[in-house]
Amino acid sequence: MNLKKYLTLTRMGVMESLQFRLSMLVIFAGNLLYLVVVYFLWKAIYASSGEEVVNGMTFHDTLIYLVLATALFNFMEMYTVWQMGRAIQSGSIVLYLLKPMEIRRYMFWEYSGNFVVNFCATLLPTFIVVNVVTRGAVPLGMNLLYFVIAVVIAVMINYNIDFFVGTICLYTESIWGINIMKQVIVLLLSGATIPLAFFPETIRNIVNWLPFQSIYNAPLTLLLGKSADIKDVAVTIGTQLIWLAVTYAISKLFWKISLPQITVNGG
Amino acid sequence: MAPVIDIKNITKEFKVLNRREGLAGSIKDLFSRDYKIVKAVDNVTMSIEQGEIVGYLGPNGAGKSTTIKMMTGVLEPTSGEILVNGRLPYKNRSKNAQNIGVVFGQRSQLWWALPLVESFKLLKDIYQISDEQYDGMMKLYQSLVDIEPLLHKPVRQMSLGQRTLSDILAAFLHDPKIVFLDEPTIGLDVSMKAKIRTLIQALNKEKNTTVILTTHDMGDVDALCRRIVIIDKGKMLYDNDISHLKGFFGSYRTLKIRVDGDLKKESEQIAKEFPVCKVSADDEWISILVDEAKITVMEVLTKLQKERRVRDMQLEEISTEDVIKKIYEEGVE
Amino acid sequence: MKRKGLLFYTRLYFKILAQDLKSKMSYRADFIISTIGMIFTNIAGFVSFWILFRNFSTINGWGYYEMLFLYGFSLVALTPVQCLFDNNWSLRQYVYTGDFIKYCFRPINLFFYYQSEVFDIKGLGQLAFGLGTLIYSWIKLGLGFTPLMLVKMVIFLLTASLVMVALQNAAAATCFWIQNSFYILDLVTKFKDYAKYPVTIFSKAFRFVFTFIMPIAFIAYYPSLIILRPDEVELLSWLSPLIAVVFFFISYKIWMFGAMKYNGTGS
Repeated sequence: MNLKKYLTLTRMGVMESLQFRLSMLVIFAGNLLYLVVVYFLWKAIYASSGEEVVNGMTFHDTLIYLVLATALFNFMEMYTVWQMGRAIQSGSIVLYLLKPMEIRRYMFWEYSGNFVVNFCATLLPTFIVVNVVTRGAVPLGMNLLYFVIAVVIAVMINYNIDFFVGTICLYTESIWGINIMKQVIVLLLSGATIPLAFFPETIRNIVNWLPFQSIYNAPLTLLLGKSADIKDVAVTIGTQLIWLAVTYAISKLFWKISLPQITVNGG
Repeated sequence: MAPVIDIKNITKEFKVLNRREGLAGSIKDLFSRDYKIVKAVDNVTMSIEQGEIVGYLGPNGAGKSTTIKMMTGVLEPTSGEILVNGRLPYKNRSKNAQNIGVVFGQRSQLWWALPLVESFKLLKDIYQISDEQYDGMMKLYQSLVDIEPLLHKPVRQMSLGQRTLSDILAAFLHDPKIVFLDEPTIGLDVSMKAKIRTLIQALNKEKNTTVILTTHDMGDVDALCRRIVIIDKGKMLYDNDISHLKGFFGSYRTLKIRVDGDLKKESEQIAKEFPVCKVSADDEWISILVDEAKITVMEVLTKLQKERRVRDMQLEEISTEDVIKKIYEEGVE
Repeated sequence: MKRKGLLFYTRLYFKILAQDLKSKMSYRADFIISTIGMIFTNIAGFVSFWILFRNFSTINGWGYYEMLFLYGFSLVALTPVQCLFDNNWSLRQYVYTGDFIKYCFRPINLFFYYQSEVFDIKGLGQLAFGLGTLIYSWIKLGLGFTPLMLVKMVIFLLTASLVMVALQNAAAATCFWIQNSFYILDLVTKFKDYAKYPVTIFSKAFRFVFTFIMPIAFIAYYPSLIILRPDEVELLSWLSPLIAVVFFFISYKIWMFGAMKYNGTGS
């Protein structure tokens, strides 16, 4: 594999996103305000409950979890569904197909520059701020390495799901509707809005068997995990890898089956 | 009668961001930005009478759309005076809009998913067109083009030609005093182009509508405009009749002949005989560029025939396209 | 030429709107999927709400049904922005491609013409959902019912709607100045999710921010106090209709100013 051609795409992506200096500022301000809301909301919740620990999580735990989940969400948001949907509707999807690279790879690497920017602009600062504010609530050890591995896998699982959902756009004109359904499902069932620990037992059991928890819950559990038991780590990452393989296979297969649709739609 | 459009010394300036190159440049742009002032329209003066069809020409980025935006009231000039129907268009944008129609060749203003007739009905309401006027207009349209099959077809299912035709009809619907047509024939096939041109001419004649036509297609200009205005880099280069334009670089015509014998040798001989003409030869023809201010083509031909047997001949007029090309490239002295 | 009064604009609005509905019907699949997506969003919102309250019975002295009331109130109040001003979302695209100019050549108010072009029916699902929640919690709270209350309710719902519309207008208008304004609009849209929390959970400083700088407290909290806790009504609640009108007017001016400014830069 020629890494250089991929890195060229990455570099272009970095340059493009820097052009939008305001958008970075806005994303930053938006996250900050979101954090404020989350902080006060959960503070009020814990204050009203009168208990220190709810469902095995303290106020601090919950807050760190949600803050990092948001940072992770912003880091991973790729707008793939929109991009594919628009390309399909306008017919410019054909241009992607003419590229000397498989479309799913091309789109991924084309976006990858944003990962670099997002990492520096949101994920890393959030992490540092959280750790400073909580005076080192997140342990700095092997868990960081596990976290990075888990995030890389999560990004790919997320992309596979996005690509799968984007492929649906070949069959229908509705990008908004499809994207919103995906977003809602992923956000809720991955534990990004409310930690999975707060879910009722039965729902949690179901959610655990779905791929979504591998996106946010898995990396965050590894990062915040107090027990550095290597067996737990192996199970979590192993589950992620299985889901990666499954989502990859399904989205690839679905794309392959759906490709003939393009000629029908014209371009 | 007062001119329908009266422009005096208008200038429009824009601030443009200088983007730096490369990754380092992008990072620099993040912190400091460097602007420069560009004059999109520079001291332009013109006045247009009711009922004229004026070709407004210029290379890409010459300032045509900026001028049109000022005439339609969308933009305010940086300096200078502009009156459309006796009003300042910028101050009275929506009143001005009542008296103008606009068509962009590449951008339909019709409701995409609806049959054309529904778009017409909406326009009727928006422009407060009376029933009689609307019916009259529809009758006129029916007499000019075969509109019936178009009326019930959703715009998105139309061909580009049908869409352009519909857009033009929509622009004339409220009987505006002025219609701006921006590249109305772009991307159309030859027969559709002809159809569109005939339609524009007919509507202009019937309604005495002033038409401002911007185009890169000299066929449009030749077919429709008596007067043309040329602009480049914001400055006005030319404003006069099209017939005058052809004589602009002297009244040149090219006479092409085929004679017995070696064309190269013959052409050298002819060049000696007519020192005022430029003569060249290729494998088939001898081309003689004649400046009719100095000698007429007929004189040249008569003289040539006395000396040698002319087997075949062609006469080429210098085309509008050639003249415009020359003006774009060299400017006007 | 005839004068263009309120009657003219009202009639025209319904005509343009009717045409938009006709267009929508020609994309039936999109309509159905979008509606399902909208229902999904509302159900997911409700599920998060429910999960949260399974763990905690009150938040900052606000009980389950009171919170539900705020939630329903915000959903209903957000319907107009969803249904009537949805074209704001496309503004960026129109500006980017230059197609926006077509709106400038009509002899009617530019803002009116632009917004009237799209009516988003799927917002009606949200309205139904919100109304259901509102009525349910109203009954459970035993607030009683008088015609005066209904009048108040309608006025203050309109107030709340107007604030959100104003926020969205201003956010959408940023695309006239900056290239990638999607983030700003997205940010403001996310804000509306915070509207459903009582502003009392925040510290004084942020109460100020959410009241005067990012006035999301006007989307549910201040107006609904009038019905929900008539004994604790703050002055700001009574002033909110006036404030909403002012906000809307300012946002309208920003929008129009931006539109006029932008036209200079497009080719």
